[in-house]
Amino acid sequence: MERSEPDAADDNAMDSFLEKFQSQPYRGGFHEDQWEEAPWFGVTLSRPDLCCCRQMEQAKTYKDEGNDYFKEKDYKKAVISYTEGLKKKCADPDLNAVLYTNRAAAQYYLGNFRSALNDVTAARKLKPCHLKAIIRGALCHLELKHFAEAVNWCDEGLQIDAKEKKLLEVRAKADKLKRTEQRDMRKAKLKEKKEQTQNEALLQAVKARNIRLVSEAVNQDEDSASEGPGEIFLDGLSSENPYGARLSLDDQGRLSWPVLLLYPEHAQSDFISAFHEDSRFIDHLMVMFGETPSWDLEQKYCPANLEVYFEDEDRAELYRVPPKSTLLQVLQHPRYFVKALTPAFLVFVGSSPFCKNYLRGRKVHQVK
Amino acid sequence: MGESARVRRVSARQGGSKRRRRRPSCCPSWRRVPGPTCRRQRCGNVLALTGSEPGRSLLAGQTALLRALVQLAGAPAPAPARDAARALVNLAADPGLHEPLLAADPGLPARLLGLALDPQWPWADEAAAALANLSREPAPCAALSEALASADPEGSGLERIVRALCTPGYNARAPLHYLGPLLSNLSQRPAARAFLLDPDRCVVQRLLPLTQHPDSSVRRGGVVGTLRNCCFEHRHHEWLLGPEVDILPFLLLPLAGPEDFSEEEMDRLPVDLQYLPPDKQREPDADIRKMLVEAIMLLTATAPGRKLVRDQGAYLILRELHSWEPEPAVQAACESSFRYVRGCRGWDGVTHAGSGSRSPP
Repeated sequence: MERSEPDAADDNAMDSFLEKFQSQPYRGGFHEDQWEEAPWFGVTLSRPDLCCCRQMEQAKTYKDEGNDYFKEKDYKKAVISYTEGLKKKCADPDLNAVLYTNRAAAQYYLGNFRSALNDVTAARKLKPCHLKAIIRGALCHLELKHFAEAVNWCDEGLQIDAKEKKLLEVRAKADKLKRTEQRDMRKAKLKEKKEQTQNEALLQAVKARNIRLVSEAVNQDEDSASEGPGEIFLDGLSSENPYGARLSLDDQGRLSWPVLLLYPEHAQSDFISAFHEDSRFIDHLMVMFGETPSWDLEQKYCPANLEVYFEDEDRAELYRVPPKSTLLQVLQHPRYFVKALTPAFLVFVGSSPFCKNYLRGRKVHQVK
Repeated sequence: MGESARVRRVSARQGGSKRRRRRPSCCPSWRRVPGPTCRRQRCGNVLALTGSEPGRSLLAGQTALLRALVQLAGAPAPAPARDAARALVNLAADPGLHEPLLAADPGLPARLLGLALDPQWPWADEAAAALANLSREPAPCAALSEALASADPEGSGLERIVRALCTPGYNARAPLHYLGPLLSNLSQRPAARAFLLDPDRCVVQRLLPLTQHPDSSVRRGGVVGTLRNCCFEHRHHEWLLGPEVDILPFLLLPLAGPEDFSEEEMDRLPVDLQYLPPDKQREPDADIRKMLVEAIMLLTATAPGRKLVRDQGAYLILRELHSWEPEPAVQAACESSFRYVRGCRGWDGVTHAGSGSRSPP
């Protein structure tokens, strides 16, 4: 028998293989009944089929090692072992299919469903009837919420084994989830449609009253030029303002607005979540200031003393609102602009020095 | 008719292959090797005959002709095969001809089945239609079942039919809708139902989405007929109504319209029936609607089945169907169903006097 020089690359591979066992327990150890199958360590033969044999043995060893790690739920190490086994590129498609499928299982338990899918796809290319690969693939699709794909994979598997219990179980589950998902989509679509109709009705009601709206989004959003003014307001209508309230239309076709009352003297504010447009300011003030608020140290904020103003920001002018006016009357004022769908008003104690100071030097109009 | 006169002369020489006819110029040696034009012509003639009852009776006695026809139906030549196949469809539609057909060729069911299930065969539809016609009668149906069983002992051959029905594009040139009625006829036999309802397999589940198949009422009708026949198996009701099959939503969905149910009512319905879009259409064919209602009623035959049907809100859908239904026969079926799907207690649990009343609570 010819004895050729050992291949340097093989030596390195062997060294690293053996080094591993200094830190890890050796698995796949020799048993008497395995001696005949032992790989030929340290000898390179020029016959290619025997080289393949050695690679297959090594791949099998890695597979077994991976399986051991898998049993201990050490999925990361299992993946590494299986990968090493695949790197051997041994000629046996069955063994490679098993390596791919087992690695897919380990990836599955690590939550790497897409990697697992890639692996089972590779396994199926090698061995189209490999049921374990098909089952694993269906489970991956299930986790990735690809319910129709999961059902398809199950059907393909059932063509190979019509009574495979796991496939029957996964198929039923995936089918039900698919139908539930379809229901959720229908529900969301209906809700969106309903909201859109409601919002259009709201916008229509606002327009019909000749109330002027101003959107903050116009300044922020670059794309706003492509949206019509209606859409901007509709977006605003869909989202709640930070206080959790929205413009609403009641059964009689009357609007209720979320309204902000500001008290500049004390840097305080009050929020009315639903100010009916036909109700008067004085009615709300009577309720809100029935008891003087905690920040009103001088106890002067009582309904009779209060004056309500709104500001025309463009012209920096103030308008005084008679407390007995309704909200609608004020909102319809030609110089009132509703910002962010939330009307805001300033409230002072009329005779107070703060109020006089605030109003000094500013143009103040009276709203009729 | 010049053509039938020609055929009459043929029948006067029973069993003989010699025919004395004016020799067409296109076929100089037509006696030994009939050319394709002649075959097509003759097939066309035979096809014309099968369109009438006397024509069919005439052909009934022609064993050799029938045998030739069957062979031609499977031959690779395009046009004669098609006409031969169509002729077989017409012949098979006549129950009186089943015996002569089967006598002429006992392997006819198996042969037709092979053609119908061949993904490449361009006239698989005609083969399926002939089979559907044949299987309406018990004797050919039995012969067909045997042919199926011998072809595939484990799965009783039905698996191939179900697969062809459920796989879109199974045959690129033939939609195979007639496999539906074929399956429906076969499902009259207990062995077929046993296979369809095998809990260790996934067979009936694959048929369920076809109740909504938009392209063909023939296919839908066949599948619904199959499901209705399966509903005669009482011992399978709990399994059918349970999560492994979940048959009820698929029976109710074609009967449901674009109703606007309240949130509470919606929650009682199966997910497939919730939030249906405003353009949802009901099953247009009244016969199919009737079969669906009958199937649902069959499922109330056992106490556990009744409870499951009621709990899944079947009454709601049937109530709305009844208000909409224009066909008296289907309306009557709805009314009969109310006492089973609603029972003595009304929908909201309040007792109602007289469970057979027309108007819902």
